[in-house]
Amino acid sequence: MVDAARHPKIDVRTFTNVERVEGYVGNFKVQLREKARHVLADRCNGCGECSKVCPIEVPNYFEMNLAPRKAAYVAMSQSVPLRYTIDENACIHCYKCVDACGALEAIDFSQEDKLIWEDIGSIVVATGFNHFDPSVIPEYGYSRYPNVITAMEMERLNNSAGPTTGNLIRPSDQKNPQRLAIINCVGSRDKRFNPWCSNFCCMYAIKNAVLLKQMNPTLEISIYYMDIRTPSKGYEEFYDRARGMGIRFIQGRPSLITEDPQTKNLFIHSEDITLGKISELEYDMVMLNQAAVPQPDVDSVSSVLNITQSPGGWFMEYHPKLRPVDSPTDGIFLAGACQGLKDIPSSVSSGLATASRAGRILHSDEWEIEPIIAQVWEDRCVMADGKICGVCARACPYGAIIIEEGKAASVTVAKCHGCGGCVAECPHNAITQMHFTDAQVFSQMRALLAENPQEKIFAFRCHWCSYGGADLAGTSHFDYSANERGIRVMCSARMDPDFIYEAFRLGAGAVLYSGCHPQDCHYITGQKVGATRADRLQKLFEKLEMTPGRFRIEWISAAEGDKYSRVINEMQKVIDAIPHEQLMTEIERLKPEMEKRARRMYETPGMDKAVTYSDAMVKAINTKEVKNGA
Amino acid sequence: MAEQKPEDELRIGVYICHCGSNIAGVIDPAEVAEWATHLPGVVRATDTLYACADSGQTLIKEDIKKYNLNRVVVSACSVRMHETTFRAAVAEAGLNPFLMEMANIREQCTWAHGHDKEGALKKAKDLTASAIAKARFLNPLTMIKVPVTKRAMVIGGGVAGISAALDLADQGIETILVEKEPTIGGVMAQLNKTFPTMDCSI
Ligand SMILES: Cc1cc2nc3c(=O)[nH]c(=O)nc-3n(C[C@H](O)[C@H](O)[C@H](O)COP(=O)(O)OP(=O)(O)OC[C@H]3O[C@@H](n4cnc5c(N)ncnc54)[C@H](O)[C@@H]3O)c2cc1C
Ligand code: SF4
Ligand code: SF4
Ligand code: SF4
Repeated sequence: MVDAARHPKIDVRTFTNVERVEGYVGNFKVQLREKARHVLADRCNGCGECSKVCPIEVPNYFEMNLAPRKAAYVAMSQSVPLRYTIDENACIHCYKCVDACGALEAIDFSQEDKLIWEDIGSIVVATGFNHFDPSVIPEYGYSRYPNVITAMEMERLNNSAGPTTGNLIRPSDQKNPQRLAIINCVGSRDKRFNPWCSNFCCMYAIKNAVLLKQMNPTLEISIYYMDIRTPSKGYEEFYDRARGMGIRFIQGRPSLITEDPQTKNLFIHSEDITLGKISELEYDMVMLNQAAVPQPDVDSVSSVLNITQSPGGWFMEYHPKLRPVDSPTDGIFLAGACQGLKDIPSSVSSGLATASRAGRILHSDEWEIEPIIAQVWEDRCVMADGKICGVCARACPYGAIIIEEGKAASVTVAKCHGCGGCVAECPHNAITQMHFTDAQVFSQMRALLAENPQEKIFAFRCHWCSYGGADLAGTSHFDYSANERGIRVMCSARMDPDFIYEAFRLGAGAVLYSGCHPQDCHYITGQKVGATRADRLQKLFEKLEMTPGRFRIEWISAAEGDKYSRVINEMQKVIDAIPHEQLMTEIERLKPEMEKRARRMYETPGMDKAVTYSDAMVKAINTKEVKNGA
Repeated sequence: MAEQKPEDELRIGVYICHCGSNIAGVIDPAEVAEWATHLPGVVRATDTLYACADSGQTLIKEDIKKYNLNRVVVSACSVRMHETTFRAAVAEAGLNPFLMEMANIREQCTWAHGHDKEGALKKAKDLTASAIAKARFLNPLTMIKVPVTKRAMVIGGGVAGISAALDLADQGIETILVEKEPTIGGVMAQLNKTFPTMDCSI
């Protein structure tokens, strides 16, 4: 901690929030909010005179609210930086601190929050985790029984720098306990609360038991557990040592804790799986190893940084095996427990790994980004003919399109992130996207729907989320109908209405329109552009009396493999439920309307060649299949 | 936009990966390859045991020269897995990296349709045909070069963020460490002694 503050290349900004992040790899702009401390950083020398005279006491979060602090405070004596803060919410403005500070004149009540922009090449996110509140588990009585405490409270009570200077006492009568129970998996591995394993509680249960036993060998300690998980180096040996010290391990998840109202002693009712018996044992004190959960502000951090979450609320990595510390956004990396729970050795490893990943970028003079950007066909843009349009600019999440009267729209290369929203929105098909052109997507569709299109579930998926969800369905072997045929574009914003009309014109049995959830969008508001359009299409198809379910909109994250599989299987059922004749009649009935609506796509440059090529492809596919007899 | 080559010059090479038994356990890659030889523009199609391995990449690179290929299609795993691998491989053989297209016949085919081998085979063929069709209309592209601001920001001053910041700073990179609380340290600073070393946490 102190090393970081002392390092000449590190600028520590505490009491500061990240408000906005703009830009892209190598060129981020980050807006910070430096919250008002009411103490001037360059004048405060950390003497603490202000705190001594401050008459107000409030609970100290750092001590898990087991001890108070003043309104003029530091969270702990080793705070880095050692600089006092005046808590605006608690302060009664008696100004005693101002007098106490005296000639140093470090206290400044007029200070306000400061907004600061910083230019940054690469960002590491290391926002950690939070603690589950076990009072929502009624059977354990936390917050009703004084002698039931959490593991974090134990860390402070059993800490020489803590409120009791390391003397473990019962909150009810300040006596030292003689019988202590530790319960594992409290709110973890419990479908009612959090399904995951919190990773480090088995080990800190053993740690605390060993430390307490060393200090007081007569203290009886029992650990209630479901499984003891000690897979890292030296951990199993540590567990062995604990057993050798006489710490009792009872396999079973307690079903109830009751309290003797007189003594405030506790009774734990539990199965003991090893003995095959139900037990009810008396203790002086109980420690609950509460689950580790995501930070409460994880959604807002996700949306400020445009990074996605895995189930549960952990930030999602680019690839769990190959790129475990990269976020899906180039130039943003993930360290520590915010990506998934880690103990200290693993958190340090991932922190160091991000430094190496970010270093690759920060040691380069230039960084390469994919050229899958938008480009305007100037002769097709109606603005060039003096008409008023600008639809594309309104769709762009990055303000990358310049609209000037009498001139064709133009794309600022460095600002375009390549969502393709403008391309799909342009009513005159005057924009294309590199690597995802109309001609390319059209040719893919023709190939995929060459044979028996009425049997096919045609799926448009965005690269970042639903394509990833489809990958995960496969990786997890969640089988789904093999009639699915998918196309990948970067964002649901690129899913051109023309593509959907064309898929139906070609006779697809069903069409899936799928991208990320709104808060997960890789292109800020790209999904919104896609979603608004999808709703419009849905209404149109209803009006045209298309069988419900043949067109389906679903937002599927890269973590929702199960959902992808389920959606495809449900769409298969929709197709199966329509009698063949009826389906063919419906397809034929809608064809002229679809053809009419898709016609503009055929005018775009390159489409003539795409049609010729696709005719040859379809012919080859069909004749070959006949030859094979398959 | 770069000009497209006339269609008669189109020379597509197609590689169907076995991925050991991951793909070949469900479908026959050789059958897909044989089928692909009949599609327009394809001048070379073959199966390969591991397309991403050295041997697979060498095969592709040598074929680019031998058959004068100007488009490459790899039917294998997800683009999220190996797109960069194969782009780099074709680039080494002198082809623009954006003239390579992948078909995902593992995650999105054999792994998802193990229950329906015939359906999986049909789908693998279609996905390969679709990638060939896209390849036909691919354009050579150049990466966009952007300047780099040589400053890092670490958000969160727990043990992970501190480790990242110290290591970046030791590499000589100016680093801003942002912490929302009045002190850095995170949960670790609140802990008593910590496993595995049982030393003090601060
Ligand atoms: C009771 C208990 C005992 C434990 N004992 C051990 C042990 O003995 N050994 C061991 O190896 N591990 C132990 N652990 C695990 C250890 O606490 C974690 O491995 C470690 O704290 C993870 O570090 P981190 O930096 O990822 O997250 P954190 O420690 O949570 O730090 C995250 C930091 O980011 C800050 N932050 C959050 N959001 C923002 C934001 N939006 N902007 C700016 N800053 C933000 C937070 O204020 C915090 O300072 C224990 C855990 C518990 C609960
Ligand atoms: S504000 Fe003044 S009295 Fe308070 S710690 Fe700073 S210098 Fe000391
Ligand atoms: S809408 Fe998307 S593709 Fe179009 S210019 Fe903006 S970022 Fe680029
Ligand atoms: S939406 Fe199309 S026509 Fe309208 S300004 Fe943009 S490019 Fe031009």
